[in-house]
Amino acid sequence: MASLFDACRDIIPMDSGNQKTVFSARHSLFGKVVIKKGQVDNPDSLERIKREVDILKMIRSNYYPKQHDFLVMGNDFEIMEEFIEGNPLRKVMNQFQNVNSIFTLLHQLVNGLSVIWDKKIVHRDLKPDNIIIKPNGAPVVIDLGIARKLDATSLTHSFPVWGPCTPAYASPEQLANKKSEISLRSDFFCLGIIALELYLGVHPFDPSVVENNDNIINNISNGKYASQTATKFHPAMTELAKHTLQAQPYKRFPKHQSFQSFLKKYI
Amino acid sequence: MKVYHQTGANYNWNFESFSKGIGEGIIFSPLNMEATKLTQLSPSVRQSGFLDPQVYLFDNRNEKISSYPYSPSNFTSPFNTTDLSNFGTQLAQFCVDFQVENEFQYVVIPTRYYQTIPTDYFDKMEASFVEPFIDYAIKSSLDKAILLTVIVKQSMVINDESRDNLLNWITKHQGISGVYLIFENEFTTKQIKDFRYIFGALQIIHFLKQNELEVHVGYSNTESFVYSIAMPDSIAMGGYENLRSFKIKRFEKNEEKGHINSPNARVYSSRLLQWIDYSFVDAMRERGVNLDYYFERTEYRDIFFAPEFKWHFTKPPLYKHYFSIFNKQMKLLPVNQSDRMQAVAKSINEAIEAFDSLTSVVIFDPNSDGSHLPHWLNAINSFKTLIT
Repeated sequence: MASLFDACRDIIPMDSGNQKTVFSARHSLFGKVVIKKGQVDNPDSLERIKREVDILKMIRSNYYPKQHDFLVMGNDFEIMEEFIEGNPLRKVMNQFQNVNSIFTLLHQLVNGLSVIWDKKIVHRDLKPDNIIIKPNGAPVVIDLGIARKLDATSLTHSFPVWGPCTPAYASPEQLANKKSEISLRSDFFCLGIIALELYLGVHPFDPSVVENNDNIINNISNGKYASQTATKFHPAMTELAKHTLQAQPYKRFPKHQSFQSFLKKYI
Repeated sequence: MKVYHQTGANYNWNFESFSKGIGEGIIFSPLNMEATKLTQLSPSVRQSGFLDPQVYLFDNRNEKISSYPYSPSNFTSPFNTTDLSNFGTQLAQFCVDFQVENEFQYVVIPTRYYQTIPTDYFDKMEASFVEPFIDYAIKSSLDKAILLTVIVKQSMVINDESRDNLLNWITKHQGISGVYLIFENEFTTKQIKDFRYIFGALQIIHFLKQNELEVHVGYSNTESFVYSIAMPDSIAMGGYENLRSFKIKRFEKNEEKGHINSPNARVYSSRLLQWIDYSFVDAMRERGVNLDYYFERTEYRDIFFAPEFKWHFTKPPLYKHYFSIFNKQMKLLPVNQSDRMQAVAKSINEAIEAFDSLTSVVIFDPNSDGSHLPHWLNAINSFKTLIT
């Protein structure tokens, strides 16, 4: 049976989980690639993966890995995409601790994400693990697996309790599975969390900084966050939090252009 | 802030005022004007304003509304509730084309009226109106600003969660430039005497503006003087009461077949911020009140203050007078929001004082007195706290 691995050598497992195993490999034509291999457990999963491939195929941007190939064999699937040299943001968070470096990173991310937002696609799973920082410092956004084209039929049913997302980086409307409220402003919320986490060194909804006994998820749902600590305070970060971490989407930046204009004031 | 004429049965009164430089434009009403008549108006009149498409009731068989090519009653296939997107596609094409061909200032996405809001209201609005209109606008490379019509039910204004849901829904659309906002009026009083309602309406306008949307408030009465502090792009002024407050019954019957309950004639006083029943105007005159102080002089006031004038609510001078002084009142408002809040609050305080001094001479009924004013002032104070 044909496999995308057939044309590759130096196949090394990188990561596994969330329905798939990720390998790095060297392809005779494309050079170093990433191959995601997994099994679908239901038709929705396959639809979601196909959607990721379709999205990446229609995007021509340095902010996303290039899509090389896609194969479905029964319940198995394989995706081959460009290998991005660099480290997940999660591993290099200490490179982004001052306001200027955080805002520069955000500026690049908003720039990159505006490509999909303009196509009515919301990433819905932005987190430090899904942002690769290349050696030149430029970010690349990966794992659009749960991205949802706003005008496509929703794959998310009214269960489970929250829609597909990483709860600690999800917006309140994602946690509440309010599908009609999910928009680019849901991604703004995730970017706000990432930025504040970089600045404070701790998740802004973490009970240790919010100073309550609740958990991160409940704090997100209840709109309880911290934008400063005893040792860390900057008005720009407070302002950023005010326009991204509001529980109600209509109280966040309305457009990516307004988000960008705000960031430019501080870069 | 612009002032538009909300037109209805006697649109000629509005057109006449507009031709004299009163108001910046017209909101056209298909219920009262056949399509051919509208298309024959001078381009400068059409370009001054926008169309209220008025497909609030899909089964409306009003002859004038049916003369418009986008009227659902003209669709070749009968309207099928299970196929909203197909209906929306047809409606979008005909409605956008009509508005573009007639060179209105905006293209307006219509809406449907619901007596009771269904649980999937936003999904329905999306499928029937927003998506097909935005898609058609993109397909036809539309270069006009798009306004989304939204009927705001009373519960959406006063209930925090409903208001949040409404604002989240409106503001998530990236393809619209603004909103044609219609507050449904379910009050039994002639003025709105509900602090929570006025404060809620101010919040809706404010947050829509914060979301970089144009806000055009239709069908509003004197309360738009208060709404002005939330900085809408325009407010509307209409003649008869049914153009100053939105009630669906206007579209459920033929309003031109006479009024079952004719209201008393009323005169607008910019100093009292109230429409005063003519019988109280008579009483004021009899009691030696200086009418010039309360009723600003216009060419129309001279007509209805003449001894031989027969008061009736259908008399045009009453409304032309209102257009003239209300427009002037709105135009005198400061451009800066903080100054405007101060100016509006000052006017309301002065109106309260004016009523206080008048009541020692004339007793007014609740529809002509100043009992709405404290509620307005409280709403302004709460709004001031909210935004500062």
